[in-house]
Amino acid sequence: MKKKYSMAYTLNHLQLGEQGTIDAFSDEQAGCKLMTMGILPGSEVKIVRKSPLGGAIYLKMDHQQFAIRNKEAECIMLK
Amino acid sequence: MYNAQVVLPLSKKKTVTIALLGNPNCGKSTVFNQLTGLRQRVGNFPGVTVDKKVGHLELDNGSKVRLIDFPGTYSLYPTSQDERVVLNILTNKEDTHYPDLAVYVADVTNLEKHLLLFTQIRDLGIPMLLVLNMADVARKGNIWYDTTALSKALEVPVVAVSARDGDNFPQLKKDLIQLIENTPSTPTFFYQFSKGEEELAKDIQAKLSIDNPYQALLIAQNSGRLPFLTKDERDHINEFIINKNFNRLSFQVREVMQRYDRFTPMLKKAIERPEGVGLTLTDKIDAVVTHRIWGPLIFFSLMLLVFQAIYSWSEYPMDLIDAGFAGVGDLIKGTLPESWFRDLLTDGIIAGLGGILIFIPQIAILFLLISLLEEVGYMARAVFMFDNIMQKFGLNGRSIVALISGAACAIPAVMSTRTISNWKERLISIMVTPFISCSARIPVYTVLIGFVVPVTATWGIFNAQGLAFMGLYLLGIIAALISAYILKQLLHSEERSFLMLEMPEYRMPVFKNVLLNVWEKVKTFTIEAGRIILLVSIVLWVLASYGPSNKMELAETQAITIAQQKNLTDLQTEDLIAANKIEASYAGHLGKFIEPAIRPLGFDWKIGIALITSFAAREVFIGTMATIYSIGSIDDEGSIRDRMAREKDPITGQPIYTFATSLSLLIFYVFAMMCMSTLAVVKRETNSWKWPIIQFFFMTGLAYLSSLLVYQLFK
Repeated sequence: MKKKYSMAYTLNHLQLGEQGTIDAFSDEQAGCKLMTMGILPGSEVKIVRKSPLGGAIYLKMDHQQFAIRNKEAECIMLK
Repeated sequence: MYNAQVVLPLSKKKTVTIALLGNPNCGKSTVFNQLTGLRQRVGNFPGVTVDKKVGHLELDNGSKVRLIDFPGTYSLYPTSQDERVVLNILTNKEDTHYPDLAVYVADVTNLEKHLLLFTQIRDLGIPMLLVLNMADVARKGNIWYDTTALSKALEVPVVAVSARDGDNFPQLKKDLIQLIENTPSTPTFFYQFSKGEEELAKDIQAKLSIDNPYQALLIAQNSGRLPFLTKDERDHINEFIINKNFNRLSFQVREVMQRYDRFTPMLKKAIERPEGVGLTLTDKIDAVVTHRIWGPLIFFSLMLLVFQAIYSWSEYPMDLIDAGFAGVGDLIKGTLPESWFRDLLTDGIIAGLGGILIFIPQIAILFLLISLLEEVGYMARAVFMFDNIMQKFGLNGRSIVALISGAACAIPAVMSTRTISNWKERLISIMVTPFISCSARIPVYTVLIGFVVPVTATWGIFNAQGLAFMGLYLLGIIAALISAYILKQLLHSEERSFLMLEMPEYRMPVFKNVLLNVWEKVKTFTIEAGRIILLVSIVLWVLASYGPSNKMELAETQAITIAQQKNLTDLQTEDLIAANKIEASYAGHLGKFIEPAIRPLGFDWKIGIALITSFAAREVFIGTMATIYSIGSIDDEGSIRDRMAREKDPITGQPIYTFATSLSLLIFYVFAMMCMSTLAVVKRETNSWKWPIIQFFFMTGLAYLSSLLVYQLFK
């Protein structure tokens, strides 16, 4: 019954403290913006924290950290 | 391919324009401040309210340099107004800000992502110097890098500095001289164009007569938004794009990926970093500062400190300024002979200047604290924590700072929204901040609240007046949030809103940056908003002190006659003259003129006068009331309230300040836009009269309707 892309494994599926490797972006505009900031396919990312009021996550990758919205995390597909 | 043709050697130019470019958080402003110090001016880029800092310096070879600090951006694909400025200028060689050279600042401790924008600018054919900043941090972190290898691979001169302590800046300047005296021809392109892209670039190059194909592609990419294109040019470009089947988004993806693919291997050879070792200091701080419970708690404590600082630390310097101007006014009154000129000087100009300078302590304190928080890297954390809730109201995480500071004074609060890069979110923050009750409303609330709630009344264990006070504040907050929500629905924005925020490493603040920022804010306010405030305060002075001439004289002689009949003291006589004069003045006429309109709110013409004069500043309401009720020489809130309590309606004989009228007036002051200084600042921050005018009518309209409702309900 599973449709091919509806259950894509995205960054949202990671639990706190879990790590994943970026495969691709499902939204090209958001993806481009992430790439310009150095968040690229192949990068390893870890969810460090959720924002106190929800809605955003705190990511750590390599030597830097970012805050992105859950909406934005949804378009980051993991391997 | 193409080679740059340098028509005139840069060393022969009168001034060399150098652009300072880089990603956000690369330390660009610190480099700028190191190079220019106080020889900098802050303005706006044309047409937008994006900070443009221009500094001047002279190099050892005699070259005069105009250094322009561009907004920090990650690439030439803008998603906000300030990033768009960079693209608009760098794709238009005719622009007066188009640089002869670019100094590109990059953080050496995390170089990879800084190179995307770097290679884009390099491909535009602008001769560049790559400045590797944070050399001190790299040294401590055992990061090894080879500037010679980098310089060879990237084909530009490279210099490593530490902007924080000015380390190696002499070398940076030497490299600049070298670039000016011996400007290199453009190196090969970093980006490899596809066949279709090359053809499209050729078409556009021919049409616009430009020589750089990458510039042509960027123009194609953004053709709908570049302000320098004519309609004809735009139409042609769009036609080329369709003919060549150019897809903007896939070009962007391809370009970004290709650039990374090229420079990542280059970096591997020139830079080496020890593997990540456990938790960094930043990780440890963030575990507390962005914690689910501690995070908001720390934030609100900090905001309480900010509020407390603006509210109470500024009190002493404000009193000093107040007293100083009063003293100068009295001095002039004592020395110059009585004339209209003397009154204009003392009551118009000097009082107006005092009204401007009085805000400086609050502005300075707020920006001192905000810049400190920004410098250490805390602000990004606040945005992360509150982004979600603020989004619901069309605001930004940073808006919360403006809203809280607004409780002290809307002026610095509105100025603080400049760091919000999304225009719609920034505009909404500016529009709703003045709803938050500022400290100037406190005296008005204090005087009026006694007519609404008796001093002795209690609700449970609470003092009823205290609760009423809190209610007024809450009313302002609710109005701000609801209006923000409405504006969110009404305003359309083509900018898609992203959070995607880098959380910079915590760093010790560079105090030079902080102080320069405070200085710049104070200067901007005094000059830009100050002119409008001065003008309006002179107009208000004319209104309150002049009237149809025969009536003014008549008012004075009548007052003197009455005073003699009643055997009044000198002081009482003066007060009576002042009261009669303000009634006969243009302001008095205006008060009577608007009386029919404010009658349904329960206000008489005397309150009307106070409404008009308090446009100078809300607390002027008290002073005007004192003058109108001929107790101008007594200036404490208690006696004014006693006098107001005795005020009777001349026709009905009923007290004027009934529950309904006083409540109506209180509500009016919660909502109404009664502050010319705020409007002047909004004009400056939005770069148009449109928004302050909308704000004035919207807020005052809301005030009118609410007061009408309250008065009609309770009278």
